[in-house]
Amino acid sequence: MTENQIDRRRFLKGLGTLMALPALEGLAPLARAANAPENPVRMAFLFVPNGIDMRNWTPPSPGSLEITPLLEPLRGLKNDFSILTGLAQNNANALGDGPGDHARSTAAWLTGVHPKKTAGSDIKLGISADQVAALEIGKKTRFSSLELGCERGGNAGDCDSGYSCAYSSNISWRSENTPVAKEVNPRLVFERLFGNGSKSEQDESVARRDLFNKSILDFVMEDATSLKGRLGKRDQMKMEEYFQAVREIEKRVVAFENTAKLEAAAGIGKPKGIPSDFGEHIRLMGDMMILAFQADLTRVATFMFANDGSNRSYAQIGVSDGHHDISHHGRLADKLEKKKKIDTYHVEQLAYILGRMKAIKEGNGSMLDNTLLVYGAGISDGDAHNHNNLPILLAGRGGGLKAGQHYVFDNYTPMNNLFITMLDRVGVRVEKLGDSTGKLQGLF
Amino acid sequence: MARFSGSLVGLALGAGFLGGSLVIPLQTVAQKKPAQAPVATPTFEKDVAPIITKYCAGCHSGAQPSGGVLLTAGMTAAAVQKNPTAWSRVAARVGNQSMPPKGLPAPTEAQRRAMVAWIDKNLAGDCKLADPGKVTLRRLNREEYNNTVRDLMGVSIRPADDFPSDDVGYGFDNIGDVLSMSPLLMEKYLAASEKVVKAAIRIPKMKVQAVDGASLQYTTGAAPRDGAMLFPSNGTASYKFKVTAPGWYRIRLKLGEQHAGDEYSRVDLRLDRDKLTTFEVREPMGNPGNYDFPTKLTPGEYNIGATFINDFYRPPLNGQKALDRNVILTAMELIGPIEENQIQTAFQRKLIPSTPPKEGWDLAARTALSGFATKAYRRPVTTEELDRLLNVFKYGARSGDSFEVGMQLACQAVLCNPNFLFRVELDGASTASSRTLNPYEVASRLSYFLWSSMPDDTLFGLAKTGDILKPEVLAEQAKRMIQDPRSDALVENFATQWLQLRKLNNFEPDVKQFPAFNSELREAMFTETKLYFTDVMRSDRSITEFLDSKYTYVNEPLAKLYGIQGVTGRDFRKVSTEGTGRGGVITQASVLAITSNPTRTSPTKRGRWILEQILGTPPPPPPPGVPDLAEKHITEKMSVRQKLEEHRKNPTCAACHREMDALGFGFENFDPIGKFRTADGAAPIDASADLPGGRKFTGATQLKTILMGDKQLFARSFVEKLMTYAIGRGVDVQDRCFVDSVVKETAAGNYKFGEIVAKIVNSDPFKKRKVEGVGK
Repeated sequence: MTENQIDRRRFLKGLGTLMALPALEGLAPLARAANAPENPVRMAFLFVPNGIDMRNWTPPSPGSLEITPLLEPLRGLKNDFSILTGLAQNNANALGDGPGDHARSTAAWLTGVHPKKTAGSDIKLGISADQVAALEIGKKTRFSSLELGCERGGNAGDCDSGYSCAYSSNISWRSENTPVAKEVNPRLVFERLFGNGSKSEQDESVARRDLFNKSILDFVMEDATSLKGRLGKRDQMKMEEYFQAVREIEKRVVAFENTAKLEAAAGIGKPKGIPSDFGEHIRLMGDMMILAFQADLTRVATFMFANDGSNRSYAQIGVSDGHHDISHHGRLADKLEKKKKIDTYHVEQLAYILGRMKAIKEGNGSMLDNTLLVYGAGISDGDAHNHNNLPILLAGRGGGLKAGQHYVFDNYTPMNNLFITMLDRVGVRVEKLGDSTGKLQGLF
Repeated sequence: MARFSGSLVGLALGAGFLGGSLVIPLQTVAQKKPAQAPVATPTFEKDVAPIITKYCAGCHSGAQPSGGVLLTAGMTAAAVQKNPTAWSRVAARVGNQSMPPKGLPAPTEAQRRAMVAWIDKNLAGDCKLADPGKVTLRRLNREEYNNTVRDLMGVSIRPADDFPSDDVGYGFDNIGDVLSMSPLLMEKYLAASEKVVKAAIRIPKMKVQAVDGASLQYTTGAAPRDGAMLFPSNGTASYKFKVTAPGWYRIRLKLGEQHAGDEYSRVDLRLDRDKLTTFEVREPMGNPGNYDFPTKLTPGEYNIGATFINDFYRPPLNGQKALDRNVILTAMELIGPIEENQIQTAFQRKLIPSTPPKEGWDLAARTALSGFATKAYRRPVTTEELDRLLNVFKYGARSGDSFEVGMQLACQAVLCNPNFLFRVELDGASTASSRTLNPYEVASRLSYFLWSSMPDDTLFGLAKTGDILKPEVLAEQAKRMIQDPRSDALVENFATQWLQLRKLNNFEPDVKQFPAFNSELREAMFTETKLYFTDVMRSDRSITEFLDSKYTYVNEPLAKLYGIQGVTGRDFRKVSTEGTGRGGVITQASVLAITSNPTRTSPTKRGRWILEQILGTPPPPPPPGVPDLAEKHITEKMSVRQKLEEHRKNPTCAACHREMDALGFGFENFDPIGKFRTADGAAPIDASADLPGGRKFTGATQLKTILMGDKQLFARSFVEKLMTYAIGRGVDVQDRCFVDSVVKETAAGNYKFGEIVAKIVNSDPFKKRKVEGVGK
């Protein structure tokens, strides 16, 4: 047993206490804005790489959901999710740009926009669905959104076929040229949510630190303004990212002062770092997401189990070849079997996350009832690299979603139609996003 | 991984444009026909267009051109010059005979040569006319942030290790275009700056036992007056202090003298019976100074005494006034215990030599912050900037009622300032199309290139005088900096990214098949390649030693893997590789591992690695709709080699895989963790291959000889990569002439590492900048 596992157990024990005590219900309002609805609806987008073994994923017929082999781990949650068939990210196709499906499928997954092919200069995509939500419902929480993952962005120069690593490692995009970096270390997520340093240090100085931070931010904004006017055009765009970042932080500093109290109330242990076991890592990151939702520190999250094209081996389940190599199965039985194992393993982690959300009581229901969670991939079959008929699972009952169904849409229906439908249900009115053509019918 | 590869012809991508003239085979051609007939100057109309129409247009035309490469649209000379990236690829593929695909009608060798010659000639630029390019505002990346706060404030913490990873462009993570900024990162900057200033500036929070002068015990020679102790003649004043906690204490005496005679007043400091020291008092009586003496004490009572020892008096004489040397002691203090973490850092002592009295705070802060901000912004700070910064200081000092708190806050504000976080180069009001960088900008470019950190005092000095702009000074500084330990950063950041070594962190071979692999071996693989690079760099050897040599660095685990005898222990040493088939980075375990799959070698990945990292001619990506690998004649039982050979029967695949796989087959004698083998399972290894153009070889040694035979090609690729890293932007076709001249000028010396660096730092892209005009 590794040290990390022990740690996690202790951590979960902390959570258990948290869940059982009424203290929790008193916890959320600390950070919640006064005018917030009683049970806020959260949105989460969970991404898995290299497509899914579709033969074992898609239910045989529309209507009431039948559990297929890959959905087996979710059997107990059958009435809490639906499968959506027929959706596509058509802009992940080459459209004349040649190879690079892994980068494109990641980039287009939440944007519905065709990324500009470049390995460096002038990356260009579009705002992602989670960030549209964050702009609106994120105003009400300390963090407008939370970006999580288990693999850092590529840190050697080997991104996909001439596509910048920015495309292949981010599904969340604040604007057309600003990806929102994800955090992969659960300890750092925790520190970000609940602050760093010892507790006594925090109690003593939180108020002063906020004031100090504000004075720093005021100062740097003045210098940045003076600098910006003297920069060339492209450099000004970089400086604009800086402005946006500072404004976002300023908002947090001004609006919230109760972090220390929040942590005190939560009494949660801090994760030690990245667990060596991959499943453990996914579950722990999932715990962090749930924790952030629970304390209403954010209502929007994205989570990439791995980056697309990931060639990780899954020795813990007896698959020692790389995932990407396997996904190019060439319909060989041996490889398909391994792909199925990996996909099942991912769904098991999803089952853990959904199960945890369902166990958390909120009002008359559970956290899951107040959540809209999308799980899926940007590639359908890993061998064919197609971006239509994507494997998409929609969980939770946020906004009144009808669960326990298999919805079949016309082939090539833009997935962004799903996003604008979801956004509409959480009160974010968007006429058009990326390549959307209209709302999906029948989901709510 | 077959589908992860270079970039598509027809798009403006930087990497690999220099493949213009050719990989190995053209040379083969040249060798076969040493006496080439002089060719008439090739023309587009005669030597390019007809060949394209006849041999290429069949596939590369229409709405869905093969490989996405459309050649029939640009059938004029001007169109070719407009799209140099794409056409340099065309030249490369035609030149090395990988296009047209084997088996299809093809031009003669003479026709190939003429076509390639025309393309090459028409793509080469003129350095005098070429613009130096524009680097987008560069944010410090994680490594640079860590190193900069280390050099600026002397802290050893590495706060940036917790930052989100920096995006990579053109193979490196210091490219201005892709270094983005996010709220998450800003949050980290804020938190990191707090951590750094708290480590660098410590706030004294010590207990002070203070006794005013008049309350001290005294002997004859001393007498209390106006709350102080006056020493009209030699005498002692003392006090018994109580110490309850062990630790370091500071004894502070506030003393002034009335000067007389030809020496200063001298005072002995005593602790009980022991004389600790004798010192001179130089402050005047009207304005006594602090005299501090650190001492280690255990709990107990201590009698601290000050004795005036050189009284002097000369009565009035011949109308001159009397001379009288006296001393005044206004207070005696025992400060402490001083906690380990409250002892001032070296940075702090330099920044704030002594805490000024409250009325002097602003002035002292202004002086200190002016120096600090100048270093942090890597250029002189302006008055307006300093005024604003002083406001931050005042706010902090007032709220914390402490000079140090004010300094902490001001320093923190500097560390969050865009002038610190970004390496600013202004476009200025110049109307010229480009400008030479100012001396401070050049100093920063140099230091971040070689050290991944800020300029040191020497560079600042040379920036101040402007001397740094002189070519010989730049070259000399580069030389000095490479010898400095800080140039380890070039190994850590350039070498590991150029060779893609960072992938080693994620390399997990199948433990059942390769039980020898463990984290110690992984670490050893890393270290070998880094030490090897360091040796070439610091000993100023030829970069061709990256291709081949007769030595390497090993420790015991690695020596075992390599079958080298007589190496014990964890320490690395330089050993001869004679007779082992190794030498150069290509046959080091690190490189062999990162180009393998968890369960087997991948000749394709190894070949691609050679093409991209060594030759700078990345293969084009596979065309859309790659045919199904599960063609019925490929079966699970086939060896990797057999499968790849089947795969290459498809002419579309063969065009690139012929070369890529062939290069990779040369390394088949090395398994996925870099161990030499003669069989894979039961199957004997076949490391022979046939390069496009007909050259055959067997094994890595012969292949390395072939690579060494065209070392200029490697030199060009290396220069291109080092230049990309140095200037923080993609090196594109526009820069071709700059790269060419570095290669040309260092050829005579056989491409010495130091010479290449010296030429790069004196090239236009490094010293100049294109001016775009100030944006609105």
